[in-house]
Amino acid sequence: MASVPLSVLGSKARASRFWNEASETMPRAKLDALHLHRLRALVRYAYDFSPFYRRKLDATGVKPEDIRSLEDYRRRVPLTDKSEFIHLQREQPPYGPTLALPQEFIAHHSETSGTTGVPLAIPFSMLDTVRYGESWVYGYWGLGIRPGDSFYFAFGWGNFAGFWSAYWGARRLGCRVISGGGLDTKGHIEAILRLKPTVLISTPTFALRMASVAADMGVDLAKSSIKFTYHAGEPGPTALPAMRRQIERAWGAKAGELLGIAELDAFAPGCPNGDGVHVNEMSVYAWQIDPASGNEVAEGEIGENILTSFANSAQPLLNYRTHDLVRRRSSCACGRTWAKFEGSVLGRTDFMVTVRGTNVYQTAVENLLGDVPGVSMHYELVFTREGGNDVMTVRFEPEKSIAGDRALWEKTAREAAERIHKALHVRLEVTPVEPGSLPRYELKTKRIVDQRPKEFRRTLDR
Amino acid sequence: MESEERVARIWQARKLVIAAMSGCDSPQIEAILRNADTELHWALWNLGEAVSLRPELDYGESA
Repeated sequence: MASVPLSVLGSKARASRFWNEASETMPRAKLDALHLHRLRALVRYAYDFSPFYRRKLDATGVKPEDIRSLEDYRRRVPLTDKSEFIHLQREQPPYGPTLALPQEFIAHHSETSGTTGVPLAIPFSMLDTVRYGESWVYGYWGLGIRPGDSFYFAFGWGNFAGFWSAYWGARRLGCRVISGGGLDTKGHIEAILRLKPTVLISTPTFALRMASVAADMGVDLAKSSIKFTYHAGEPGPTALPAMRRQIERAWGAKAGELLGIAELDAFAPGCPNGDGVHVNEMSVYAWQIDPASGNEVAEGEIGENILTSFANSAQPLLNYRTHDLVRRRSSCACGRTWAKFEGSVLGRTDFMVTVRGTNVYQTAVENLLGDVPGVSMHYELVFTREGGNDVMTVRFEPEKSIAGDRALWEKTAREAAERIHKALHVRLEVTPVEPGSLPRYELKTKRIVDQRPKEFRRTLDR
Repeated sequence: MESEERVARIWQARKLVIAAMSGCDSPQIEAILRNADTELHWALWNLGEAVSLRPELDYGESA
């Protein structure tokens, strides 16, 4: 009788600290050589197969054979922006001239959430879905998730690329998948109690919302079967340490996250040390610029992240502006050689306001709010324009424990304003609002309410 | 097994899969073999090998 394999992975592979040690610890010189080879092939591919890139490269007089070094690539291949893709797709739906493969190769269609009104269409070939899913697994593995764990997906199965790719990753890892599609928050909690998954996949704010609803039901999720929570889609436990504390306390679990861009890749899995994310250098090439001057910034300086994906053969993305502000480091105590972004995304070039001469970033304010006693997870940052200046106002719902005491609302607001002033050297108006009055979201929580005239803001769909 | 030997064996496996795919009259079997080659190409990619961006682009060299 033939023996039956009893494990998805052999014991030697299972004991590895890394999903792929050879690639995650590859020396920089070897990574550089590999990137150059892949970038040259990518420019040739995009030029030959994508009418969009052929036009763009021809317009700047660059031919694929002109790219002989990484510096050539960074300096000579023009930057691209999401707005270009949206514009071309609107002219010629669904994908326009950005497509680099015949339609019959498109295995999966996704879209961005379209919060500014125009979703970006994202085509994936079958190979692209393999690559995209793989990017999640580096983070799963680093956090300690193994075959034998089971994933609960607390979201509806729409066109959102983030969670489809999380699912592709769970399949690659060889774990049981449980879909929570179609259930409301209470239904998700009941399903978790009944089916006993060990990993929760959700947006970070939805994890906290579930914990809040569970408490109302008399359920302590810290005693549930969940051992790990893993997040994407909005700033999570790596970007916001206060959020990590809240999630880990509420769920009694280890929280992780990755940084992804829907149209590009789940490109930066969380570092196991919890203080940043590592760029998956097998799938993307990353460098950073000063968004004002366009000049490349040095390691350790904050700059806008520019990404090139090797993982999108259906709709290639070359020197793609992410508008994410990051601080890059080249080494990490965890042993990975892949570039590290300390604290994940530190802010957005389009969600930075200058208040009385001080640059104020969304995440900096969110980090402070998360630690103020009495401020619930339901808050928003309102941007307005007054007297030629950007103004940011914080509106928050008080926690349930002080919901009946308006004097405490005001005291909490003053405390929050004082902490922001002390840390960021700027005075913001902080206003309490009625509990339950701010919108709730299952997917991306909308923290920013931008009421500035259009000419003073970007209209990226993030 | 050393990494070089593993890489060499994966290249061999791709040659066998591509040969089996040649002239295949069963859509099911061709689709399965195509998936197998996609995975083998992906393994080489993640071992740092200089493979093409898509597996089909290698066929001319390795088939």
